[in-house]
Amino acid sequence: MSQVEWSELSTPIRDERVRVPGGRVERVCEPASIDQVREVVSAAATTRTGLLLSAGRTRLALANRADSLGLGLSLRLLSGIDEFEPDEGVVHAKAGTPLVEIREVVLAEGWELPLDSPGERTTVGGTIASAVTGPRAQAFGSVSDAILGLDVVNGEGVASKCGGRVVKNVTGYDLAKLYCGSYGSLAVVTGAWLRLRPAAATCYAYRSEVSSDTESFESVRKLARLTSVRAMLWSEAPGASAGTLHVELGGSEEGVAHDRASLASILLLEEIATGEIDALREARAAVVDDSESSFVAVRARVPGSRVDEMRRTLLAAGLRVSLDPGLGVLYARGRLANVQALAAIRTQAEAAGGLATFEWLPDPWRTKLDVFGSLAGTESLVMSLKEKFDPSRILNPGRFVADPVGGHAS
Amino acid sequence: MARGLAMPAVPASSPARPVSGEQGNTPVAPAAFLNRLRNIVGSENCLAREGELFAYECDGLTLEPRRPLAVVLPATTAEVSGVVRVCREFEIDFVPRGAGTGLSGGAHATKDSILIECSRLGRVLEVNGEDRFAVVQPGVVNAELSTEIAHLGLFYAPDPSSQQACTIGGNVAENSGGPHTLKYGTTTNHILALEMVLPDGRVQRFGNRVGEASGLDLVGAIVGSEGTLGIVTEITVRLTPIPEGIETMLAIFDDVVAACRAVGRVIRSGVVPAALEIVDRRTIEAVEASVYAAGLPKTAGAVLIAELDGNPVCMESEIRTIREACEAEGCQAIEIARDEKERLRFWRARKGAFGAMGRLAPDLYVHDAVVPRVHLPEILAKVAEICDRHRLKLANVFHAGDGNIHPNICFDRRDPDELARVIEAGSEILEACVAVGGVITGEHGVGIEKRDYLHLVFGENDLEPMYRLREVFNPDGVCNPGKIIPTTRFCVESNPKARGYDEVPIG
Repeated sequence: MSQVEWSELSTPIRDERVRVPGGRVERVCEPASIDQVREVVSAAATTRTGLLLSAGRTRLALANRADSLGLGLSLRLLSGIDEFEPDEGVVHAKAGTPLVEIREVVLAEGWELPLDSPGERTTVGGTIASAVTGPRAQAFGSVSDAILGLDVVNGEGVASKCGGRVVKNVTGYDLAKLYCGSYGSLAVVTGAWLRLRPAAATCYAYRSEVSSDTESFESVRKLARLTSVRAMLWSEAPGASAGTLHVELGGSEEGVAHDRASLASILLLEEIATGEIDALREARAAVVDDSESSFVAVRARVPGSRVDEMRRTLLAAGLRVSLDPGLGVLYARGRLANVQALAAIRTQAEAAGGLATFEWLPDPWRTKLDVFGSLAGTESLVMSLKEKFDPSRILNPGRFVADPVGGHAS
Repeated sequence: MARGLAMPAVPASSPARPVSGEQGNTPVAPAAFLNRLRNIVGSENCLAREGELFAYECDGLTLEPRRPLAVVLPATTAEVSGVVRVCREFEIDFVPRGAGTGLSGGAHATKDSILIECSRLGRVLEVNGEDRFAVVQPGVVNAELSTEIAHLGLFYAPDPSSQQACTIGGNVAENSGGPHTLKYGTTTNHILALEMVLPDGRVQRFGNRVGEASGLDLVGAIVGSEGTLGIVTEITVRLTPIPEGIETMLAIFDDVVAACRAVGRVIRSGVVPAALEIVDRRTIEAVEASVYAAGLPKTAGAVLIAELDGNPVCMESEIRTIREACEAEGCQAIEIARDEKERLRFWRARKGAFGAMGRLAPDLYVHDAVVPRVHLPEILAKVAEICDRHRLKLANVFHAGDGNIHPNICFDRRDPDELARVIEAGSEILEACVAVGGVITGEHGVGIEKRDYLHLVFGENDLEPMYRLREVFNPDGVCNPGKIIPTTRFCVESNPKARGYDEVPIG
């Protein structure tokens, strides 16, 4: 399809350069309806034009090299809350709806959106596509836990839905699980039914300085299991003798008071604004300056008993660490000497039964390491799914599933 | 059909595919096929005599029974893989089976197939109290895992009512729920990793010990796939701390609609109980006339059981909130269990219901559907109207907190007219639930029972990705064919003859 034919679509296309690792697009289309999403995807499938999916553009750096990109597909205008049932605690929103907008609307009725992904502009669709969580996953659970049903458009431009709007459902295969965290590689998420949770009656946040030795860290990690802990973050710089602990407690007054007393029994607590937890969440996920040639940003997740060991490895490698002791999630950023040091971090995380994702790494290293990690023997199944759901391989090349042109780094 | 003990004669020149038996309606497994299976699992673990197969004609869905060609009981992943490879070689379909407590026919043998029964895969392989996970084989009985790990202060949260018998492998297949789903979620929320024998015999692992794999969430796609994507041979489950405190309340209402409205108030209040279960008048009558009698007053039109768990310091205010919600809907009385004995008595009203309902009629059809909770009062009225119109006895026991209704229709299947009315009423109930935004199953699964009702919820475009998912794992359709979605993409008319009834307490 030529440029002229693209311009004949009902979906507006404008010139805009968007760069991603190993690729870029010069034009972006912004559908405002599911029909327009279908139109764009169908046209892209016909012309085998790689689509770069985005909405809040908070996670564009998380990608393998993608040379076959041809057009940006922004879901930004496909935005808004379609239905909100305060008596039921469920909400349906279009993919491009910013989470902050939903949070505000549901909170006014006593509900909380259990999604805590970083990025001020982060959207429902982007959060689901990347399954990204924040420190409040301690209380909220995973992204897929919040999903009741999804509306999607597959790689052939066909719209479908899965799941539903009810809180319990085994009607057919659980396709929402497959789409959530697939980075748009199987389908474009266009809307979602989400389950809400009752807003905490009360919420407090505290800060404390804690010695960085293993014994102190393990004591803190056990405190993360207190029931009213909504978020717990441990921040530490290489060579420091102490870490900084931030804790958010939420729930009933009695429950919070009880758990605050437990924390205060071994920690010196300083009360802070709950917004500081958000600031920490944003800081550790912020897009890095790619001019620093050896800069890396790693997200690892390991079982609880292996967190201390992983923390020590990351610090010893010279990286700053921000971790969630209760979740076993560790963010680390800084400069690494070489790609082998980065690979070793992943090896350790996987050997511990977890994983490591490289949220940022130098361009030359991308040819040597997959940012998402090992598919652990499921490669053929994953590629078959890609073929079935996106036979033209146009959806988010380089995002998770190999770009046929750019190639999947080995 | 004659049910002799002797295995029907096998023709000397057995073809690879099964052949009809002497009576023309009993398929017979080729001798060479059976010999190969016996070489893998041992003769004693390969059942092929008619008498041996009788118990395997169905799972909890006893309508439309079908006898398998054979039942094999492998004890290792390698044996499962070997059995699958032999099946492929002889072009014989295979169906995985857990304890056979499912209510939608998910473990029914299909035409000319064998059952791969997982009960001998019954070991707990690893328990890690520190990281709160356990690795188990699929034949481990649900309740036994919790018993085994209780000394660590942990339990396995999904608790289907059949948990004393059902296996974790079956729970994974069905994504089983239970009374405490409201707070703890269903099986899918508790599975970290799986090992599965693919339909071509290869063994593949999915997931890891943190429940977040670096790739597609294939674990999430496999859980609830009703054994149609492969045979799960190892499961890593998340373990949950046993709550410090439990408070169980029992509120008595004039009718089930008032009880449902109280549930709505609780949901809106911000309190998240571990369970919110409702039992209606007819069920109460049955329970009180049975060995499960819970001492409920005869004036009770419905009972709401509300269970709270967690930090004891929070419970006083939560109890107050629930009490206020019940009183606002005019409850006759509300009790709080003073001790474990009383708590168990409250739960007898719920958990003994299915057994007690055996008194009401020879057969019981345990229906399963979900509606948005705000529609519970109207849907229960509608269900009652449907059953009245079809002159059927109805009893309701259900997970009100999840909007998961279980209309139980009492009937006698020997009465063809009544059976037809049960089928028609069941169909109308599903349609009514879907009309208010609900779905056709919340926890029993689709199986063969509701396969042809999927179109009530999903259009062809919605079903197509399901076909494609199945084709990736099970391209030839040999693993549990004909379950969860129609075998072919034809837009089929409703064929509700495969309906279920049973007295197995699932739900």
